[in-house]
Amino acid sequence: MTRSPLTRTALATLVAAGLLAASGCGLSGGGAGAEEARRTGEVSGAITFRTLQLKPKFTAYVQGVIDAFEAEHPAVKVKWEDVPGDGYNEKLVADAQAGALPDVVNLSTDSFQLLGDRGMLADVARLDGAVAAEYVPGAWEQFKLPGKGDGVYAYPWYVTPEILTYNKDLLAKAGLDPDRPPTTVEQFFDYAERIAARSGGQYAAFMADPKGRLPGDWQKMGVPLLNAGRDRFAFDTDRAVAWVERMKDLYAKGAMPRESLLKADDINQLYGAGKLVFGPGSPGFVRDIRQNAPQVYARTGVAGAVTGTLGHIGIYAQSLGIRKDTRHPDAAAEFAKWVTNGPNQVEFSRNATIYPSNAKGLADPRFADRGDGQDAETLARAIGAEQLKTADLDANTPVQWTNQVGDAVVREVQRAIQGEQDARTAVRRAQEEANRLLAAGTRR
Amino acid sequence: MGTDPGLVHRRWWTPYLFLAPGLLMVALFSLWPFLNTVVLSFTDARVLSGGHFVGLDNYGRALADPDFWTAARNSVLYLLVVVPCLVLLPLALAVLVQAKVPGIGLFRSAFYTPVIASAVVVGLIWQWVLRSDGLVNTVFQALGVVSEPVPFLTDSTLLLFSAMLVTVWKGLGYYMVFYLAALGNVPASLHEAAALDGAGPLRRFFSITIPQVKPMMLLVGTLSAVSALRVFTEIYILGGESGGPGGGARTLPFLIRQAGLGFAGETGYACAISLLLFLLTLAFSLLGHRLSRGDEE
Repeated sequence: MTRSPLTRTALATLVAAGLLAASGCGLSGGGAGAEEARRTGEVSGAITFRTLQLKPKFTAYVQGVIDAFEAEHPAVKVKWEDVPGDGYNEKLVADAQAGALPDVVNLSTDSFQLLGDRGMLADVARLDGAVAAEYVPGAWEQFKLPGKGDGVYAYPWYVTPEILTYNKDLLAKAGLDPDRPPTTVEQFFDYAERIAARSGGQYAAFMADPKGRLPGDWQKMGVPLLNAGRDRFAFDTDRAVAWVERMKDLYAKGAMPRESLLKADDINQLYGAGKLVFGPGSPGFVRDIRQNAPQVYARTGVAGAVTGTLGHIGIYAQSLGIRKDTRHPDAAAEFAKWVTNGPNQVEFSRNATIYPSNAKGLADPRFADRGDGQDAETLARAIGAEQLKTADLDANTPVQWTNQVGDAVVREVQRAIQGEQDARTAVRRAQEEANRLLAAGTRR
Repeated sequence: MGTDPGLVHRRWWTPYLFLAPGLLMVALFSLWPFLNTVVLSFTDARVLSGGHFVGLDNYGRALADPDFWTAARNSVLYLLVVVPCLVLLPLALAVLVQAKVPGIGLFRSAFYTPVIASAVVVGLIWQWVLRSDGLVNTVFQALGVVSEPVPFLTDSTLLLFSAMLVTVWKGLGYYMVFYLAALGNVPASLHEAAALDGAGPLRRFFSITIPQVKPMMLLVGTLSAVSALRVFTEIYILGGESGGPGGGARTLPFLIRQAGLGFAGETGYACAISLLLFLLTLAFSLLGHRLSRGDEE
């Protein structure tokens, strides 16, 4: 028996319609409207714990922390899953869409902000308000969200503050005092100008890629990123324009490697080859440079982060979020608290270049030890810890500064740095595009 | 002659039963995502939130966006430059390495090496060749050809052409293999007869080789056109994540990635640009098909 062409067409149409209907299902978002979990006082159940690229280097440490927790709470079973760094956020997005976020999840600053902003994380201040005192105040405050009151949406985990790393020999060659590195953004640019004038093209001061400096520099200089209502970008100011003009001028004078404008260059490689005065502002980099370029490490100086009028420093914070509708809020909260407690964080810092967000952890003597004042790695640890205790840490990039906004601003600034448009036009156009993206985002 | 009882009892759905596993895979991994893209392109869907139907808004926005037109122009320019190069140069290469001489396998392998190298590795190698303090600029400056380094990677137009160079370099060996297969099917008797009639190598190439490999040239043209419209890695590696200074070297796939990536990604808008790229690709594929049919007729 055979089917008529009409039947075949009808069949094909039916299949296509079914697929279209099924594809329409992809329109529904998941998780955001979920009911928030409430504690019952019963620490039990099976919970999932997801970390970001900690295996295999830290397998023993993390498993040890889990085993100890399970021994303390026999009614809890922790299933640990570790996900590679590449595509971590994409996986979180997919899981959030599917309503399949882990109970306890390791979040970086951007994933925390986006998931928190979309109401997918539990308010840990409500779950466990008393725990706030255990953390460095600035770190706990980091996990509040604009427009969400006093809620705190993640437990602070390990943090890395921004520091300044520099090649002392190159600084001296440029006629600058290696013992007096720059302390403000403006002074940093002055140093760069001197370096460009003296280096003869043999080395450069820093990377031109605006993405690496924005919006941090603007925040440090007191440029308002958002208006008072936090519903429009407001960085189109004389200070922002002056910053772009300075970058353009320095680029033209050769203070930065030409290709570094496009982030095509590797800063570690350039610094390690002795072609860059200022290296990455991360304490972890100091350890890397010691291993990969010992000669340059010997000439590396470390100082507090370059700041601005507000005295802010940049901070990269990892946190542990709790899935808003977790079935086991008590177990999840107790576990997150366990992982982020003082002793566990100090132990972690012995294995990795990280700093505890936990006040007791940060008070550990190893973070105050400056050694003989000559070893860059020891100094970096002490300087970073000192900054964490005292610096204002609320310099977080606002959640409205998304990847798309950052890219759009960077593109306009790149054009200005290359001289394709003037600085004022670049900042104005950048703000227009950023506001358009923001408006499109709030229409969801 | 009796009728085969197997044929009498055959059900209409029997062939579909055999096709089912394959069709299911195609439906699941090709058709469904495609249809989903079509549906999403008419919505304001974002990465973490469901969308609402917005009609042709996304398409209107794309067509009114100067960035879209810059990317579309770059994609078409890429195609117009890369396709002729990838149709002709691998053919010339295949003719050269077709000769049966000792050690020719070594040359064939050497020309094929870039094909198996990862696009990222190839991009990084070319980055070091083309950067302002790279090999080419160092040689040019040493020879006095230029006084200032040529901004191969920091000028949008030059960056686009640099990326084209990488695409062509990487594609040469790949399409050379196609042509080697086609050249192997050209009857030797045709060349022998032409040689007897006094035709030289050049004449034989244009009068015998080209007509014989023309279907393969059309295939290579279509394949390389589709690849050219999908180019992303070369631009990304050479020009960074902005797509060149100010994003001036972005192609359509680059724009799709930027629009749809990250937590704030505009899925609906990215899908609309994807559909426009699909239509552009379809148009060029149909053009190739038409040329191929015209040739057959």
